Amino acid sequence: MGSGQSLSFGLTQADVDELIAYCKGAFTQQEIEALYKRFRSLDRGKKGFITAEEVLSIPELSINPMAKRLAYMFDSINFKEFLGLLAPFSAAASRDDKLRCMFAVYDVDGDGAISTDDMEVVLRQLAGRCLSDEELHSIMRKVMSGAADPQRGLTFPEYRAALEGTDVELHVEVPADD
Amino acid sequence: MSGGVRFKADSPASSGSASLVRGGSQGFGSGLRSLKNKAFSRADLSTFGAEQQAHRDSGAEVHRAVEEAVVAAEQCHGAHGDHSLMRDILDLSSPLNDAAAALVDDSFLRCFKSAPDEPWNWNLYLFPLWALGVVVRNFVLFPLRVLILLLGGIVFVVGFAAVGLVLQRAPQRKKLAERWLIQFLCQVFVVSWTGVIKYHGPRPVPAAGRVWVANHSSMIDYAVLCAYSPFAAIMQLHPGWVGVIQSRYLNALGCLWFNRTQAQDRTLVAKRMRDHVHNAESTPLLIFPEGTCVNNEYCVMFKRGAFDLDATVCPIAIKYNKIFVDAFWNSKRQAFSAHLTKLMRSWALVCDVYFLEPQTRRPGESAQQFAERVQAMIAEKGRLKVAPWDGYLKYYNLAEKHPDLIEKQRRVYSNAIKMYADSTSAAAS
Repeated sequence: MGSGQSLSFGLTQADVDELIAYCKGAFTQQEIEALYKRFRSLDRGKKGFITAEEVLSIPELSINPMAKRLAYMFDSINFKEFLGLLAPFSAAASRDDKLRCMFAVYDVDGDGAISTDDMEVVLRQLAGRCLSDEELHSIMRKVMSGAADPQRGLTFPEYRAALEGTDVELHVEVPADD
Repeated sequence: MSGGVRFKADSPASSGSASLVRGGSQGFGSGLRSLKNKAFSRADLSTFGAEQQAHRDSGAEVHRAVEEAVVAAEQCHGAHGDHSLMRDILDLSSPLNDAAAALVDDSFLRCFKSAPDEPWNWNLYLFPLWALGVVVRNFVLFPLRVLILLLGGIVFVVGFAAVGLVLQRAPQRKKLAERWLIQFLCQVFVVSWTGVIKYHGPRPVPAAGRVWVANHSSMIDYAVLCAYSPFAAIMQLHPGWVGVIQSRYLNALGCLWFNRTQAQDRTLVAKRMRDHVHNAESTPLLIFPEGTCVNNEYCVMFKRGAFDLDATVCPIAIKYNKIFVDAFWNSKRQAFSAHLTKLMRSWALVCDVYFLEPQTRRPGESAQQFAERVQAMIAEKGRLKVAPWDGYLKYYNLAEKHPDLIEKQRRVYSNAIKMYADSTSAAAS
C-alpha cells in the first residue's frame, strides 16, 4: 500500500524460481530471501557483487586457515554464484555435490585434478609453517598413491573413492530470524 | 578408527562451541572449548563471554587445552590405515563449514546493522495520515528545526566569543560560562530532534577520581548527555564542521582528541586521561569504551583504557527507542550531516539514559574483567546483547592483527597430520 517499501529488495517470484532451479532445490524460498538480504549487507556499495575484501571483512572468516583460498573463490561473485557456492552446504545437497565442492576447493588451478601443487597450496594454508617440507612431501606422496596418474593428480572419481565411506559433513543452517 | 584429530563444527543446536573430534565418523566432542569462532554466529552471543576472554588473553588456557587434546588423541592413536590418512588430508569439511557459517551469518556485522525503516502505512485509511506526516515532518518541522539550530548556533558562537573577551581575567568564571554555553548548544541540538529523553539516576557532578563510561551509538550520545550535564569526552577527531566544533569549542571542557588508528596518539591520550581524572577541578570525563558506534542492539567489547585509571567508574546506559528513528550512526554508509538530517526529519528522538551505580575495581580483578563487569551492567540496563568483538575490527582485519588465531589452528592441524609423515615417530609416542 502506498509507498510501502518492499522488503524483498526487488527479488521477483521468477527470480526466486530460477535461483531454486539453479541450486537444485538446495534452498527454500525463505532461505533464498534471507541469503539475499545477507548478500546485500556484505555488498557494501550495492554493486551487485561482493569482493574478496568484503568477504575477509567478516572477522570469523578472516581467521579461517583457508581464508585466502576461500576469498579467492568468493571474489567478484554475484548473488547467483554466491548461492551456487553455498548450495553444497545445504542439507538437501547430495553427497556428490558436497564432495565436488571440496574437490573444487582443493583443485586450485581448476584443471579437474588435484595435482601435487594444488595440494601443497591447500595443505600449506591448513598446516602453516609447523610442517616441514619433508613431512609435507611425504604425506603428499602417500595421498598421491591413490592417483592413476600421479603427474596429473587425483581426479574427481579417485577423490570420491578415497573418501568412500566417510561422512561428508558439509552443513550450514541459514538463519531465518526474519 | 583413526587417530587423526580434526575439528568438527557442532550442530547449531548444541552448546555453541566447536569441539575437537577424534577421527571416526561417530566422533564426539571432547568438551574442549576450542578456538574456532564459527560458533559465535550460531548461539546466543551473550554466552560467549568466557570464550572470548580466552581469546583475548591470547588463549593460554585454550592453547593448553588444545595441546592436551592433541596429545591425548595421539596417545590413543593406534594402527591407522591409508583410509584415515586420506580422510584427514582430503576432507576439508571443517574449515569449509566454518567459512560457510560465517558467510551466511556472523555476529560482528550484526552489531552494525541499521534497523530497517518499517513501513507502517499498511492500509488505505492510514495512508493519507502517513502522507500528511511526511509533509509535516519534511516541510514544517524540518525547516523549523534548522532555524532553531541556526539561531542556537549563532547565540552560542557570539556568546562564546563574548565570554572569551569579557571574562579574560577570571579564568574560573570563564570556564563556568563556557561550560554553560556548551550545555546550551547541546540542548539546542536535542531540541532540534525533539529529543524526548528520560534521565534516570542521580545527576553527575565533577569529582576527582571518577570516570563515566557509556555505550555508544552515535555522536549524538554526547549531545544527549551534555544537555543534562557537561562532560569532557574522549573522541575521535572528525573532519569538517564537527571537527571545528571539537577543536574550537569543546576544548574548553578539556575534551581529548585522538586518532584511533595512531598508536602514539593513544599512549598520549592515556596519560592525559589519567591527569584529567585525578584533577578535582576538571569537568567529568566521559569515555565510550566501545570505541565505535554500535547499533544499540549489541554492545561490543569494552576497551581496557577507562578501567585502568585507578578511578571509580560510573556506568551510563543509553537506550534509544527506534519507534520514530534509528539513532545509530553507520559512519561507513552515511555522513554525519546526513545522519543529523535524518534525525531532524523524524518526529522525535526517544531515549532513556540510566546513570548506574558507580563501580570500583575489586581486589584481584584485572582491568579486563572489570571492563566486562561494567559492560554487563550497561548491557543489562540498556537491553543490549554482549558481542565478543573488538569494535575496531571495523578498521582492521582480524587475521592481520592477530595472526596467532590462525597459527593456533594450523598448529593443531599440522600436529594431527604429522603422524602420517613419519609413522615410526608417531608410533613411538
